[in-house]
Amino acid sequence: MTIPKDANQKIEAYLAKLRAQFRSFNDQQVAEIVAELRSHILDKLEIAGDATPSQVDAILAALGTPEELAGQYITDNVLARAEVSRSPLRILASLFRWASLSVAGFFVLLGSVLGYFFGAVFILVAILKPFHPQTAGLWLLHDATGDSEFSFRMGFGTVPAGRDLLGWWIVPLGLLAGCALVTVTTRLALWCARQYRKSGVLPRS
Amino acid sequence: MRPLDPHQDAADKWEVQLRKGCLELAILAALWEGKLYGLEILRRLEADSDLIISEGTVYPLLSRLKTLGLVRGEWVESDAGHPRKYYSLTAAGKQRGREMAGMWARFSSSMAKLLAPLVRGK
Repeated sequence: MTIPKDANQKIEAYLAKLRAQFRSFNDQQVAEIVAELRSHILDKLEIAGDATPSQVDAILAALGTPEELAGQYITDNVLARAEVSRSPLRILASLFRWASLSVAGFFVLLGSVLGYFFGAVFILVAILKPFHPQTAGLWLLHDATGDSEFSFRMGFGTVPAGRDLLGWWIVPLGLLAGCALVTVTTRLALWCARQYRKSGVLPRS
Repeated sequence: MRPLDPHQDAADKWEVQLRKGCLELAILAALWEGKLYGLEILRRLEADSDLIISEGTVYPLLSRLKTLGLVRGEWVESDAGHPRKYYSLTAAGKQRGREMAGMWARFSSSMAKLLAPLVRGK
């Protein structure tokens, strides 16, 4: 079946929009997704028997908007990858993709970066304490104006002006809190992705 | 437009999630007999079930099943002039399908018992 120019333009415009949503996927993956959907659209036109622009519109509407469709691909992927490997780096990479697509994804990425960052800080301080017994730890610092602030010190440099709050307790507590933060962050990120996926952003056909 | 009814809305949402939850197993079941391409899977599900929420739901789900290693995809040239991506179950996919089908059978028989009075309308 030959596709008239105007109908074909509609199809290509839709696929171009979809492709643009996948900026952070690798080229091979995007090419496969786009080729598969083009094949779906052409097959449906073949079945419909007439390739009018309004027929194309109906087929594209049944697929959802490019944004909605890409959103499903990305959140499905975040979850699938996380099921295969729960490595924070893998999860962050997937969340980065999601964030490039939606505000919800952006906030989940932001929260996860913070969670992993503080988790890593707790663990690092705990590991460095035996090497820097005098300086590493959770300190309450006082500055010249009399303000105080909490500070995680890796222990490089001089003894800070203030008080080491936890002493050697930072080792077990830091490891525990760090691992807990990393675990909670992972679970929370996956929970958010699952909720987003469940929220039914695609229209009913 | 139908009037807003929060109870109806909640029931609709539940139904959407129920369908979505079953879709993964339904796709594995559709592929049980052999390889199919996306549109054939859609047709099979439409004919044998009322699971399809949107055509757009199936393709991302197939991509997810592929990432999980439960299905594999292969491109095959067709008479229609464009290649089609055929999916088939991997060994892990068959295993998962059997497990899910077993869970489903246990789950649905216990639910059926529990729901019998509601269905009879008493």
